Amino acid sequence: MKTIDLSLLWPLFALQGLLAVIGLVSLVRARSVRGPKWMWAIIILLGNLLGSLAYFTIGRKE
Amino acid sequence: MLEAVRSYKLLWIPVVFIILGMMQPISAYYMPEILRMSGDVPPGMLELYEMPGAGEVMAKSIGQYGTVGLLVLALSAMNSFAGEREGGAAELVLARPLTPFAAASAKWLAQLTLLALSLGLGAAFAGYYTIRLIGSLSWSAVLAASALYGLWLMCAVSLTLLFSACLRAPAAAFLSLAAAAGLALLHSLLPRPLNWSPAALPQLSAQALTQQTAAPAVWIFPVLSGIALIVLCFLGASLSFGRNKLPRF
Repeated sequence: MKTIDLSLLWPLFALQGLLAVIGLVSLVRARSVRGPKWMWAIIILLGNLLGSLAYFTIGRKE
Repeated sequence: MLEAVRSYKLLWIPVVFIILGMMQPISAYYMPEILRMSGDVPPGMLELYEMPGAGEVMAKSIGQYGTVGLLVLALSAMNSFAGEREGGAAELVLARPLTPFAAASAKWLAQLTLLALSLGLGAAFAGYYTIRLIGSLSWSAVLAASALYGLWLMCAVSLTLLFSACLRAPAAAFLSLAAAAGLALLHSLLPRPLNWSPAALPQLSAQALTQQTAAPAVWIFPVLSGIALIVLCFLGASLSFGRNKLPRF
């Protein structure tokens, strides 16, 4: 069994974290979003890639 | 362009493309472990798993951009004209001494920059991980494959811009995705008579990676028709934006 090499995986986690941070910053600064803000915060934090993606594509109001 | 920075698009779309590109080689590499962790795998199954070739994995990573990537791009481009019109900024733009052609080309260039940045970074990361984990791969093949795929994505983005200039935003995203899907479906149903259509580009892109030799003659017609489609969409968009009719539905 291969041991999981963390040096390969940490960039992936770092990027996911970065995406979540960008999402949260834009959420805090947005004047209004579709639906309650706390709901989107939970989605971004728990939904990994898909959660942030959902927020950026359907949650934001232009 | 400023709109892209202000709405964080220039940040999050490249990050999403990089994550998508990295995930494919990593999950191909760890597939036996993932299967084992997911529970009941009959013994002997794991020995059957064969590591796919480097070209195949890379082609799959780029193929990811055709589904999730295309959705993200279309949803982000749909507001470029329609958002301005609905927000009332279009009148401001048209009132200034600026031709609709210039306004449309600014938007088109902004989308092109976004696409090139995202696809370039995503393909670079996918290529790096594929080479590290799976096996060697020539960077020129990666470049050719991503350029071909990028042209197809740009066709779809141009379609979104065209529809965004004359329809409401959600309708624009939906119609352009439907048009892209329709083109792809038509091409997969009738591959031989339609081998000149831009929908052949994703397939050519995969071939550039999996087969070592690809005749340039096969590329010419899809590339030319792709460029023609982009130009047509662009002209249509600037004409329609110039008239600035109210959206019909």
